[in-house]
Order: sequence, then structure tokens, then C-alpha cells
Amino acid sequence: MGSSSDDEGLVARTLAGDRAAFGVLVERYAGQARRVARAVLGDPDDADDAAQDGFLSALVKLAQFDPRRPFGPWLMRIVANAATDRRRRRNVRRVEPLEPSLVGGGPRPDAAAIRSELGDRLRAALAELPERRRKAVVLFDVEGYSHAEIAGILGIPEGTVRSEVFHARRRLRTLLADWKEPMT
Amino acid sequence: MRDSQPFDHRPDPELGAALRAALDAKGDQSAFVARVMSQYDQALNRASIPTLDILASWFRPGIAAATAALVLGFVFGRALLQPAPTESIDAALAPVEGSGLAALVTAQDPPDASVVFTSLVEPQ
Repeated sequence: MGSSSDDEGLVARTLAGDRAAFGVLVERYAGQARRVARAVLGDPDDADDAAQDGFLSALVKLAQFDPRRPFGPWLMRIVANAATDRRRRRNVRRVEPLEPSLVGGGPRPDAAAIRSELGDRLRAALAELPERRRKAVVLFDVEGYSHAEIAGILGIPEGTVRSEVFHARRRLRTLLADWKEPMT
Repeated sequence: MRDSQPFDHRPDPELGAALRAALDAKGDQSAFVARVMSQYDQALNRASIPTLDILASWFRPGIAAATAALVLGFVFGRALLQPAPTESIDAALAPVEGSGLAALVTAQDPPDASVVFTSLVEPQ
């Protein structure tokens, strides 16, 4: 993540019509935007479409951005909303519930398979969480935003963010119990 | 993953790393950036269509809509301003009939003014 002052300069240059400055902002936040969108949508192609929508929407609204505030949370709010809008519009299919063998109790995969299946399992576990909880835990534990920043991104009280992160972690931990040992 | 305490204010690095790996897109990030920048260029091109061209494209439909509104306004206004049809003189002077009139004719005393008035008004 770039520094806030860097972002502020890039935003000002973008507003002045500097294409390269917008390109730097996109490069800087592309990974984050795609992950947040994927946490909402599940499907990577849909997530990329939503992340792109978010960047272009941010470009249109850039004059409304308050340069005294950090750019990242402002952009993530737009991206998260774009992902939610896309999910509603396309009625994206829900990820199928975890198979019993993935939830636990089935044959334990070998060590090599654990690593390759971990991503699938985590995505499936995330998909079982309510959307707001998903966003909160990804923004907090993956993207490193503070509770206050996430509250601004999601438009909810800070205490609710803390609660959502806590419940998301607890749920993920339950679902991933079999994988806990190999991860640590 | 470390044990999560209620309302823990610290990110969980292990859970975060695992989630990051699960959510990271497989595709090249530069391809995504190029795609967004392509959309940026297209948006700029669309925005650079001269204003006069847009106004010109609105011209004919605008004239048609204004004409239709003018005609409708004229018709509606005329209907509003037209006076209601009045009763003909013959109809106004025609004798009236009804129970009031009968009471007036059969009464032995001279009619009260209110009876006369009622006999005139009642049939209407």
C-alpha cells in the first residue's frame, strides 16, 4: 500500500488528466481490490469485473475524494460496493456448501494435498459467512485496515466491525480445524 | 493461527496470509491493470465527443416534443377556458311543476313568500 501523501499526489495528477498517475494507483491497489471483490463474489472473473468497475467508478467520483483522508479505504468502499452490486445484478450462484469430507471426518489428505486444497477450503469457508462478515475479516486480517477504517468502508459502527471480525475468525477456525496443525 | 480473543484489535498474520493466498488471483496482475487502463482510455474517448454533437442529436426529438407539448397545452387550455353551456331562455321561462305548485294552488290562505319560492326552486 502506498503512503497517503503519495496517493494524494497521484489523485491530484489523475484529476489533472495524468493517465500515468491513474495507472500507478491501479497498480498499487489492484491486488487489494481484486481480493476484496473475490471475497464478495467468489468467482475470480466476476471479481475482476467488479474490481474494474470499482476503479472506473472511483475515477468518475475522484473529484469528490477528500484528500485529507486516506485513499485506500475510500477506494475499497467503492470496490466493495461494486462487488455487492454485481452480485445482486447477476444473482451470482452461491458456492456450494462444503462437502462432508472437507468439513471434517473424511479421509485426511496427505501433506502435499493439504496445501493445494487449503485455498479451496478457505474460499468455501468464506462463502459460508455473511457478506459483511467476509468483507470485515478480509479487510482486517488480509488488507490490514483498522477497525475504524473498515467501519468507514462498510458504513457500520466500529464495534460492529470488531464483532464481525471476531465471529468470522471463530467460524473460519471451526471450519478449518483439521488444517490448523499444518498451517502452524 | 493464534487464538482469537473477542474484539481482538490485532490482525492475525497467519490467517491473513492463508486468506490472501486463497483470494489472490491466479492471473497476471499487469494484465488486469492493462485492462483497466484500456477502459480508462475508452471512457476518455467517449467523454471527448463534442458537446455540439450531443446537442445536435437532441435537436429533432426536442423540437418534436416541444411541438407536441404546445398542441396539448393549447387544447387543454381551450377546454378549460370555454364557458359551460347555459340554459335556453325558453327552458328558463317554462312553467314549473311539482308538489310545491300543487300546495300553492290548493291553499285557502294567500301563499307565504317562502312557499312561492319553494315551488319555483324545488323541481330543479
